[in-house]
Amino acid sequence: MKFSEAIAVLIIVAVMSLIGNLVGFHNGIVESLPGMIFLVALCVAGIALGKVVPGNIPNVAWIVLIGCIVTYPGFPGSAVFSGWVKKVSFLSLTTPILAYAGLAIGKDLDLLKQTGWRIVVVSIAVFIGTYIGSALIAQGVLTVTGQL
Amino acid sequence: MRDGIRNIKVHAIVLILVIISEFIGVHSFKVGPGTLVLLPMLYALVIGAFMGPKFLKAVNQKDMVGAGSLVGVTLMLLMARYGTTVGPNLPAIIKSGPALLLQEFGNLGTLFLGIPLAVFLGLKREAIGAAHSVAREPNVALIGDVYGFDGPEGRGVMGVYICGTVFGTIFYGLMATAAAAYLPLSPKALAMASGVGSASMMTASVSSLSAMFPQMAEELQALGAASNMLSGLDGLYMSLWMALPASEWLYRKAYRVKYGTEPERPLAEGGK
Repeated sequence: MKFSEAIAVLIIVAVMSLIGNLVGFHNGIVESLPGMIFLVALCVAGIALGKVVPGNIPNVAWIVLIGCIVTYPGFPGSAVFSGWVKKVSFLSLTTPILAYAGLAIGKDLDLLKQTGWRIVVVSIAVFIGTYIGSALIAQGVLTVTGQL
Repeated sequence: MRDGIRNIKVHAIVLILVIISEFIGVHSFKVGPGTLVLLPMLYALVIGAFMGPKFLKAVNQKDMVGAGSLVGVTLMLLMARYGTTVGPNLPAIIKSGPALLLQEFGNLGTLFLGIPLAVFLGLKREAIGAAHSVAREPNVALIGDVYGFDGPEGRGVMGVYICGTVFGTIFYGLMATAAAAYLPLSPKALAMASGVGSASMMTASVSSLSAMFPQMAEELQALGAASNMLSGLDGLYMSLWMALPASEWLYRKAYRVKYGTEPERPLAEGGK
C-alpha cells in the first residue's frame, strides 16, 4: 500500500463521514472539522510508524496506540484533542466503511452458496459461542471483583 | 487498490448510501422486553449488498473488487476514533483489567459449541477449520499455515470466514441487543465480549449496546475497543496453542459418538 493512496482514501472517507455526521447527527461540518483532521493525522502518523518501525506491527495497532496516548488524561493537550474528536460521532465513521463492505459483499455471495447451509449453521454457532463464552467470563470476573 | 481509488462511481454510490442511511437514522424498536436497535451502518451494508449484479446491477465485478480493496484503509479512521475513546477511559479500563484479560478465554467457547454441532451435521475435518475460532483473518492465515488451504480444514475456515464477512456484522449487532435484553448479562460484560478480532463485528455489537445504554456509551466503546485489541494480540497464539489442540480432541470425541469409530488420520499433519 502506497502512502499517497492511503491518504487519498482517508480524505475521501473523512469527507463522507463529515457529511454523514451532518445529516445524521446535526454536527456542523465546520465544528467537526478539527476533530476529523486530527483523526486523519493520527492515521497518517500510524501508517508512517508502521513503515519506519521494524517488526511488521500492523498500522491499525499504531493508530490505536497513538490515539490512546494523546488523549490519555495528563498528556499535553489531551482535553482539547478529546473535545475536537467528540464532535465526530462514532457512528458516522462506521457508515462509509460498511457501505464499501456492502458493495464488496456481492462477490462473496456465490462463494457462500458453494459452502452450503451446514457451514452457515456452524458459523452462527461459532458467533454465539465466542460471544456468550466471553460475556459469561467477563460477567463472572466483574461480579467477583465487585465492579457491577 | 489504485483501481478502487480511481473508481469514482464506487465513491459516488457510497456517498449516496451514507446520506440515505444517515437520513434514516438510528431506530429502536421495543420487541417484547427488549429493544432492537437498527443503525445507519446496517442500512448501508444491506443496501450496498443489493447493488450487486444479482439484484440492482448498479455495480459490476470490478467495482465490487475495488470497493473491497478499500475497506482496510477506511477502517483506519474508525480505529483512530477508537484510540481516542480508549485514552480518556484508560484508568477505568485498567480497573477492569482482570475481567478484560480473562474473558479472552471465552473465545474458546466457539469450539465447544461449534465442533460437536459441525460433526453432528455431518462435516468431517472441515469442522476443525470452521469451529476452532471465529475465523477472522489471523485464524484463516493460521489454518492455511498448519493444514494448507486445499484440504478440508481450509475449506471449513474459509466457509466461516465468508459467512462472517457477509452477515457477521449484522448478526453481531442483533445478537448484542438480544443478549442485553434477554440474558442476565451486564452491558459492560457484553462490550468486553464484543472484541473477537473483527473491527466491524465489534463495532456493530458495541454500537448497538451504546444505543441501548447511552449513559455508558463512552465506556462501552472503550471496553469493546480494548478487548478487540487484546483479541488481535492474543488470538493467533490462543488458536495455535489452545483452540486447535482442543478442537482436534473434541473432534475425535464427537466423531466417536456419532459414527462409533475412530476418525481417519488427517491427510497433512502439519501441512508446511
